[in-house]
Amino acid sequence: MRKRRTAGVVCTAMLAAALATLALAGSASAKLTGEFKKFEQCPFSNLEVNRCINSLSSGGEVVLGSKKTPIVNAATLQGGYSKPVSGFSKFFAATNGITLSKAPQSVPGGLLGIVPPEKSPTLVKLLSKFFFENSLTGVNSTLELAKPASEIKISESNMGEAEGVALKLPVKVRLENPFLGKNCYVGSSTSPMWWELTSGVTSPPGPNTPIEGAPGEVEFIEGGRILKLNNNKLVDNAWAAPSAAGCGGILSFLVNPIINSQVGLPSAAGKNAAILKNTVYIATAAAVRKNNEENP
Amino acid sequence: MKMKATSIFGRGVLAALMICAVFAGSAAAAPAWKFEGKTLEGSETIVGGAEDSFLTVPGLTTDCENFLYKVSISNSAGTGVGSVNELPLYDCGTNSEFCTVEAIEAEKLPWSTKLTTVSSSNYIVIEGVKVGVLYGGEECVLNEVLAKITGSAGGLVNNTTESATFNATTFKATATKLSALGSSVEWQGFFPTEAFEWNREKALTVG
Repeated sequence: MRKRRTAGVVCTAMLAAALATLALAGSASAKLTGEFKKFEQCPFSNLEVNRCINSLSSGGEVVLGSKKTPIVNAATLQGGYSKPVSGFSKFFAATNGITLSKAPQSVPGGLLGIVPPEKSPTLVKLLSKFFFENSLTGVNSTLELAKPASEIKISESNMGEAEGVALKLPVKVRLENPFLGKNCYVGSSTSPMWWELTSGVTSPPGPNTPIEGAPGEVEFIEGGRILKLNNNKLVDNAWAAPSAAGCGGILSFLVNPIINSQVGLPSAAGKNAAILKNTVYIATAAAVRKNNEENP
Repeated sequence: MKMKATSIFGRGVLAALMICAVFAGSAAAAPAWKFEGKTLEGSETIVGGAEDSFLTVPGLTTDCENFLYKVSISNSAGTGVGSVNELPLYDCGTNSEFCTVEAIEAEKLPWSTKLTTVSSSNYIVIEGVKVGVLYGGEECVLNEVLAKITGSAGGLVNNTTESATFNATTFKATATKLSALGSSVEWQGFFPTEAFEWNREKALTVG
């Protein structure tokens, strides 16, 4: 009798565990549909999050000192943000931890910084690319967040009105190359480069001159639940860049000065620029939650 | 020498005539407000209610069931001018099941207006337009967003129906533009009018 009862309890417990597993599996497999899939990494279950954002930067350029790097490989900024306080919203990190995806961009001229003139024969350009942008001497630069996502600030109203700072981003740039090692950075968590990006017109110190961003063309999709900004352009050319550090591993004391000399670091405000051409998707966290609940 | 002086004089007269012709052409192109075919003297107030008026940003249309307007008009140096003094907007909504209009208000009234002629058609151009729209709806991406519609608007005047029609074609003809959320928006509508003071029940024309 006692044995039978014990077996019953075990069966009930197993059943409960199985049900709980199923329930959890159901929750985990809840899927966003349509354009809402873009918000899969939005922390929408956090009730502090008011809106979800997914911004794909697929063009533009970053001028760091004397190096101009075009954005060829798309990078994504994703996460959520709160209701605005004093005009700015607090940012919440993407649930997978990749708030700003790492998209290495090839630095034209690579390590040696040799860029053949535009009018050079194609063969010369190809040889130059082979010798100076190959896996050994080529250099990639990758933009990374220098501080926690909560340090990012976003202003919807400034973005829409093309006035003031739309996105404040603490960044660092990793220079990648077998010679440079894994920790060659311009900027750090303690000394980040602060990009104060605007969709309006910048007012940088010289020698830079004002450049113009654009809020982009608004389009509503998913019945007005998602806003898509096409051809959004965010710019800042008033930021300063510190010296490179950690380049060359144990030889950094030798390599850092070479990199600094090559790139022109530290580079004062007015000598650098960030131009990001984006496609931005925004939805309310409530709409994303609802879509998630409707599709278990 | 005399010949040269005559030539210079001739050119001067020609230039003066050309300038006069330009100004005359310009003056002729400026239409005036008229009642029963007579040019309005002094001022008048015209009123109306918009029909089929809506504002469109790609993917979202906003309209109001009650879109009234009160405009004071007069002629200044032969050209029709005026100002939109009142623009009460009620019962507004969107074509989205998720988005509502919580509040809407015309701001910074009065807005100045003027009549102009483009390619032999008469238009009314409204400048300094500013309308604030507060959207709502928990799932609406514009929830709690106050969108500002700003810019200028040009509408084609129709003397037969005593109305003005605003649409993409009339905006293009008058080189006017309305913007909201950093993007251009399309405003469309039919706006009949009638005199409210001294010229009640008189035919209003522009020419």
